[in-house]
Amino acid sequence: MVRIKSPQDFGAALVFILFGLGGIYFGYDLRWGSAARMGPGYFPLVLSGCIIAIGVVIGARALIFDGPSVERFQIRPLGLLIIASLIFGYLIEEIGLAISGVLMILVATYAGREARLKEAVILALALTAFSIIVFVWALGQSLPVWTGR
Amino acid sequence: MMDLHILDNLATGFVAAASLQNIGFALIGCLLGTLIGVLPGIGPIPAIAMLLPITFGLDPLSSLIMLAGIYYGAAYGGSTTSILVNIPGEASSIVTAIDGHQMAKQGKAGLALSVSALGSFFAGCVGTVFVAAFGPPLATLAQEFNSPDYFALMVLGLAMAVMLAHGSVLKAVGMVFIGLLLGLAGTDVNSGTQRYTFGITFLFDGIDFLPLVIGLFGIVEIVRNLEMKEAPRMTVVARFRDLWPRLADLKDAVKPALRGTFLGSLLGILPGGGAVLASFASYTMEKKLAKDPSRFGKGAIEGVAGPESANNAAAQTSFIPLLTLGLPSNPVMALMMGALMIQGLQPGAAIMTKQPDLFWGLVASMWIGNLMLVVLNLPLIGIWVKLLSVPYRLLFPAILLFCVVGIYATNSSPGQIGLMAVFSVFGYILVKFGCEPAPMVLGFILGPLMEENLRRSLVLSRGDPIIFLERPISATLLVITVIVFGLIVLPAFRRGREQAFQEEG
Repeated sequence: MVRIKSPQDFGAALVFILFGLGGIYFGYDLRWGSAARMGPGYFPLVLSGCIIAIGVVIGARALIFDGPSVERFQIRPLGLLIIASLIFGYLIEEIGLAISGVLMILVATYAGREARLKEAVILALALTAFSIIVFVWALGQSLPVWTGR
Repeated sequence: MMDLHILDNLATGFVAAASLQNIGFALIGCLLGTLIGVLPGIGPIPAIAMLLPITFGLDPLSSLIMLAGIYYGAAYGGSTTSILVNIPGEASSIVTAIDGHQMAKQGKAGLALSVSALGSFFAGCVGTVFVAAFGPPLATLAQEFNSPDYFALMVLGLAMAVMLAHGSVLKAVGMVFIGLLLGLAGTDVNSGTQRYTFGITFLFDGIDFLPLVIGLFGIVEIVRNLEMKEAPRMTVVARFRDLWPRLADLKDAVKPALRGTFLGSLLGILPGGGAVLASFASYTMEKKLAKDPSRFGKGAIEGVAGPESANNAAAQTSFIPLLTLGLPSNPVMALMMGALMIQGLQPGAAIMTKQPDLFWGLVASMWIGNLMLVVLNLPLIGIWVKLLSVPYRLLFPAILLFCVVGIYATNSSPGQIGLMAVFSVFGYILVKFGCEPAPMVLGFILGPLMEENLRRSLVLSRGDPIIFLERPISATLLVITVIVFGLIVLPAFRRGREQAFQEEG
């Protein structure tokens, strides 16, 4: 059984190889053309090939040389930030910046370790008011404030 | 004759840039940039990425002026935190932190800050003249450039970026390639074929720049900071009556600042060069030239004056390749290029000839931005320092709101926020596996350009790659690229590079 000596590099290798394979898989239907008349598929496929090759080399080295281990993935901060952003992005059309902004910040605050409800509510109200003043009134961006579009 | 032209041109620029409105935008840009740059853990790249959307509603010149202000402000904010708190907000102020923070500990924070600001201002002035003097001839040279030359130039630029990236060279190359491939998504200009769009309408025009950089840098940055146990903040309270340096102190700082300025101006022009390289190089040079090198690391004023001047000069002159050749030499310039393209401008020699107001206005605004930093920001240091005491748990929701509202305000499409989410997950995975996303942005910006120039070159030569070696310009550039890669592989250089990046830790 081969031992992975550098987990961090091995992970990177997997990312590269998967990305390259994805590039080839989803670009497979594109016309390849020839060097003299490059089709839309030529450069993407060449790049995908290079990415895979780099991934393979990094992966092989990860089996030979010792390297750092992978830091633990923490789902909560990233997960909550993304949920908060998506809430904002998909609700602003329906209920406007004022309410979706407050909701977003309430959710986002809990991505941190030391969230406190009272503080979060005040922060949400203050920041949303601030963004309405700056983006809508001062910069004149067309964002729906109270209602959807 | 030439000199008169420069004066004429600069005058045009100042007329364009010095309107009340534009000075106002420069001011807002500087203030916002400093504000974000001072905040711990946010360097210029995420800062610019976050503030980009604010500038889109403006006309091109105003938006560029504001962006330049944000850029200098963010860089300046980064130096402030590295001196006061020993947290370099960005790679180019890492070396400033070494001696600057020691100075602050010895009660000389005011001196370090003012030397850094004055040195930067002086370097900025010289850098502006450099841009004015070298821009036009380079733009003329650029007209000699043909597709193969552009292609070779981009290869060189990417190679230099790889050389200067943190960590593993191989991973950096991989990141560049991934960026290039991402840059190709969208409708192929030549055939009209959809590539990697998965039938999603908003991808037909290609992946939007803003969700990409905000996801990769903004969101990932927040997550990284949240993961860290809150570090104890070692704020050194600077005494601000000491802000203005005494004459004797200045004398020690003048020569390093001059050398740093010159070195920085030169290194900034190189593709792949820029502020980071310049500050490291200047620090090394000052240490070599010093009579007593052991003072370095213990609060040597040369260690602040030199690198700070160098990085600002380089920040200035790195606009040269962008504005004359259309080649961003570092990730910050890639952001600037992205901003220009969103304004509907294709950076390159054409800007100078077709829109001289814009080019010279930008050059003039660089100088105005630098002046504002000294005149307005230096007295405001007290306020910036107070910002450092705002706890992160209150700060990050504000940053997130800014990012998301910014993206939405630019194109009113929830899908773009989804795209941002995708890139933040991707960026998070990359960071966990030790891949630095910065080279990827460079690749992303250059992807379509490289493909187009490669295609045209190969059409010219009927598919024979020898064309890249037959043309003198492209052959020279490729030879330099090979040398660069040779250097990277060379054990001695490799050790030096690793050492240089180790000082960050």
